[in-house]
Amino acid sequence: MNAPLERTVLWLTWRQLFARKRIYLAIAFSLLPVIFTLVFRFMAEDREGARMDFFSGLNRNLILGTLIPLAAAVFGTTAFGGEVDDGTIVYLLVKPIARWRLVLSKYVVAVLSTIAVMIPAMVLPWWIMEGTEVTYDMLVGFIAGGALGVSIYCAIFLTLGLASKRSLILSLLYVIGFEAVLSRSLVGVKSLSVREFSVAASLAASNESLTLKEYVVPMSTVWTMGTIFLVGAISLCLWKLSRYEVAERV
Amino acid sequence: MTAAQRAEPLAPASPAAASHSVELRNVSRWYGNVVAVNDVSCSLGAGITGLLGPNGAGKTTILHMMAGLLRPSAGSVTVDGDAPAGRPDVYRTIALIPERESVQPFLTGYEFVLMSAKLQGLRDPVSAAKRCITLVDLESAQGRKISTYSKGMRQRIKIAGALVHDPGVILLDEPFNGMDPRQRIQMIDMLRGLAAAGCVIVISSHILEELNDLASNVLVMVAGRLAASGDFREIRRLMTDRPHTFTTKSSNDRALGASLLTDASVFGVELTPDHIVVRTADRGAMTRNLAGISRAAGIRLLEIRPTDESLESVFSYLVDR
Repeated sequence: MNAPLERTVLWLTWRQLFARKRIYLAIAFSLLPVIFTLVFRFMAEDREGARMDFFSGLNRNLILGTLIPLAAAVFGTTAFGGEVDDGTIVYLLVKPIARWRLVLSKYVVAVLSTIAVMIPAMVLPWWIMEGTEVTYDMLVGFIAGGALGVSIYCAIFLTLGLASKRSLILSLLYVIGFEAVLSRSLVGVKSLSVREFSVAASLAASNESLTLKEYVVPMSTVWTMGTIFLVGAISLCLWKLSRYEVAERV
Repeated sequence: MTAAQRAEPLAPASPAAASHSVELRNVSRWYGNVVAVNDVSCSLGAGITGLLGPNGAGKTTILHMMAGLLRPSAGSVTVDGDAPAGRPDVYRTIALIPERESVQPFLTGYEFVLMSAKLQGLRDPVSAAKRCITLVDLESAQGRKISTYSKGMRQRIKIAGALVHDPGVILLDEPFNGMDPRQRIQMIDMLRGLAAAGCVIVISSHILEELNDLASNVLVMVAGRLAASGDFREIRRLMTDRPHTFTTKSSNDRALGASLLTDASVFGVELTPDHIVVRTADRGAMTRNLAGISRAAGIRLLEIRPTDESLESVFSYLVDR
């Protein structure tokens, strides 16, 4: 039986995702929270609780709320979308590889690429701020929540990359319009927001070192809706690829 | 070694192990209201078939349906008896060289061909990649990124990548684009070798000169329909509504022209400084009578040559209909 992941597709997708200027974008995504942290560390007043508030806010708002969905949008949509745009997807489609292995391989690379951006963006600020207020448990919580968000976002954006020629624009509209604006302002929408799933998972995995005053989606909803989003998006992606037809060029 | 890995091909252009076939039965394909291919039927076996037609005639659609990258809206396409669409395993047999130049620009030529060999699950992908790069004469440029390649080099590296698993059915969409004359000759020789080894080769091309020597069997597409199929010289003979034209050289062109005009099958003679051009509606009768007419007139025939039996003439006659 074939391995579920196709190593050559993993290698090709990795090269593709980090080709050209995307490597600089990935570095910028990783370093932005570090720059904010350094500015705070050396410029802001060091009152009690300030470090925890900053670290928590940085992770929730900037990393979970903005950087992770943006990085996932870039990598997720490019994993298939880049090849669809330039026509090189045909070289994968005319190979004797099951479509589900192509989807799974692309998905895994998109997830790992986004996590590669996320980890330094979370660990370096924690390392700079570490102390009695900013604990290891908080870091673990945010990494767990971030990983959950990455896994769902990448599935959604991978599918979008295959389904639409304007996948990146649609992804950005989704991130900015739905995740950043609607899900924060309407409580009812939170149970559909991947960002809110990430926040809830962060709290659950932080060994009670993180608390929030506002409404947090229950973990039962996170697991149910997260699974529906993840499985639904991957299934749709597989269906789209199985039915994919190379556009006519005359 | 996994189950997907296969035995290495024996040699470049090695004979295909089994006979292959491609068959289209009443195939139509439409995009919304636009009919790209309309009720096409044909059956292709080993050898080279030229797929001809003006832009928009449906050639690429036909090739993509043969490759399983498009499903027919009606009718059926089969490769070795099975429909290729939705069956990745069929790509152990089929190779497609698409028209688009795009190849992953961040890869070197060698990486691209090696990637194809690995994705085919070959046991020794490195040897297979090197063999095919040698086959298309790109050893000296194999270490360069494809983004630095010329159009012709990209075509050749695509062909190397497609042939890495010794396919039995090879579909080429405008393969000679960007190649210089030497590369074209080399490619033609290679395709002839593959055809002789039993491969089914379908070449879509607008460069009729190459196909004239390469593929006597043609499919001529006009506005989505199959206007004609078969040996193009035979197609020409069957086109009785078009006069056949010959050039003839003799010991006395003027006298021969006058004598030929007495023959009922000849309806036009044009005198030029070094030969005469003869037009006839009945090719067979004219060629049968020509020797007798010239002998009776005491004229020695030096040369007779059909001028409109080229693929280009047949193609233009069919397209202009």
